[in-house]
Amino acid sequence: MDLIANNKRDVKKSDGNETLLSVRNLSTDFFAEEGIVRAVQDVGFSIRRGRTLALVGESGCGKTATALSIVRLVPAAQGKIVGGQIVFEGRNLLDLSERQMREIRGNGIGMIFQEPMSSLNPVYTVGDQIAEAIRLHQEKGCKEAWADAVEMLRAVGIADPQRRAREYPHQMSGGMCQRVMIAVAVSCEPALLIADEPTTALDVTTQGKILDLLDRLQKQSEMSILLITHDLGVVAQRADEAAVMYASRIVETADSRRLFVEPLHPYTQGLWESLLRLGFSGRRLRVIPGSVPAPLQFPAGCKFHPRCSKGRSDNRCRSVEPELREVEAGRCVACWHARGYEDKA
Amino acid sequence: MSEQGRIVEARPGKGAGLWLDAVRRLCKRKLAMVCLGVVMVYFLLAGFVYLAEMFDWRVGPTRWGEEVGQSYAPPSSKNILGTDIFGQSVLRKTLYGARISISVALFASLISIAIGVPLGAIGGYFRGFVDEVIVWIYSTLSSIPYVLLILAFAVVLRDKTVLGHRLTGIAAAYLAIGLTSWVGICRLIRGEVIKHKDREYILAAVSYGCSRRRIILRHLMPNVFHIVIIDFSLRFVAFVHAEVILSFLGLGEPNRPSWGAMINDARMELSRGVWWQMAAATAAVFLFCLALNIFGDALRDSLDPKLRIQ
Repeated sequence: MDLIANNKRDVKKSDGNETLLSVRNLSTDFFAEEGIVRAVQDVGFSIRRGRTLALVGESGCGKTATALSIVRLVPAAQGKIVGGQIVFEGRNLLDLSERQMREIRGNGIGMIFQEPMSSLNPVYTVGDQIAEAIRLHQEKGCKEAWADAVEMLRAVGIADPQRRAREYPHQMSGGMCQRVMIAVAVSCEPALLIADEPTTALDVTTQGKILDLLDRLQKQSEMSILLITHDLGVVAQRADEAAVMYASRIVETADSRRLFVEPLHPYTQGLWESLLRLGFSGRRLRVIPGSVPAPLQFPAGCKFHPRCSKGRSDNRCRSVEPELREVEAGRCVACWHARGYEDKA
Repeated sequence: MSEQGRIVEARPGKGAGLWLDAVRRLCKRKLAMVCLGVVMVYFLLAGFVYLAEMFDWRVGPTRWGEEVGQSYAPPSSKNILGTDIFGQSVLRKTLYGARISISVALFASLISIAIGVPLGAIGGYFRGFVDEVIVWIYSTLSSIPYVLLILAFAVVLRDKTVLGHRLTGIAAAYLAIGLTSWVGICRLIRGEVIKHKDREYILAAVSYGCSRRRIILRHLMPNVFHIVIIDFSLRFVAFVHAEVILSFLGLGEPNRPSWGAMINDARMELSRGVWWQMAAATAAVFLFCLALNIFGDALRDSLDPKLRIQ
């Protein structure tokens, strides 16, 4: 089944090495009453064509703020991108005009959100909404766009798409709404799909199906995916690479398998140790002591040091924040105690 | 998902799905359709009287000024609704009154919606300086007592020439009412837009490439429009009433009968047991407003997909 019959862009057959999106030193501030919240600090990563990068972290660590910054949707009244570069298909998105940015949104970068039920406009049928996204970026008549919308619904696995297209979001289940949302987001064949916790609001069986769907769509159209999640199981199974975020910064990036087998940053290690795994032998799960610091009370030095067994007593960890350094090929970490970290200074 | 197997013919491509669906839902409601019929009859009557007056047709309502019987003749087979102090037919005056009252209320409503809705939407969506200016304007307007404000506008507008036309009493009345009463709808729309604009579906619409204009017109407006409808059907009544006040103070249409003027005249007559003029005008207003409110309510419900009756 061809995903969309009308393929306007030549999808380059990727060799998996071409960089599609590269985020460098991105910083975004949010304005709160008590002061400026530095929600994203010096974040950098890159996604290759056709690959999946998982951005992992706890609630409030800046994952969503990063995603919104990439498509420049940080609400102007609440926050601002203060620095960095977001290079997408060779262009820095931060230099584009609002009109050019609108072209990118939907057409170059699609987005799906955490709450599928509330991400669809309640007064329009789901078919209308997919057709709208198509008509915004392609010169098509109503009927053509509608036919494409029905095809999209079929492509995302909705049974009886002709009838379902005429239904309203409230008539559908959460999983189906998320499928519709995916259909809206990929209807113009974006090169990158940003999935902001796409399965958090869904039950476990539906989660698997939605992720399978994303896999299938990715294979069909060579789409890259930025998968934002807090679910480590999802990272291990679905992502090619992973970036771990803690308190507004990226603390470790690696191939997701290597991250799983041999985590370098104590935070990542702690996350794996607190995860329930198959063959688990009944001992108590380990937890990371303490809790994520509030954005306005970030500790000095490494932000993880108060919760870290090595960092708590180390003066350098308490005073100097480590930057992200490449310690092995394709492997970056920001920890003074990580193997090989100091050699790379 | 139990009805998955059911095969339903797909409707081929469609444009204004929202409104088409709403009309289809509305048509299933009998009471709403009856009320729509009543409202239509009123509007047709008003339109007919307007045309008759323009082309000088000599028909019942336009001959309201003729003396058809004694002063204060009670309802009889000759004059079904009796006569007023000058022996004019109350029935004819009531029918004629529809033209004045409905045109004042209709145009005043349209003016206030045309001002209040865009201002509210713009202020609510963009916030910041624009919003502050809009809030400042309507706060100032609403701090002036309503009747005084209408009076001031009516006095200023009367007999002025606008675009080459001398404003008649009715035009002055509906301009005065319309220009002063957009504050309520503006506030409601602004509040509602503020509530909706940070919802996820708006963010999603932006994320697939909608412009700001498109967000306001196509995504926000349909979600807040039910307020305009409800407000319209309630306000219409208030505007018929406002026309009464203006007429009473001699600033409405002094020389032609309107429902407001009739009710005003009838105040003095009631003590003498002359109830028919009051009854006729009140019944006319009552039926119209009731029908309009029920219809407006049904229209609102049918625009909301969640309240859809299967």
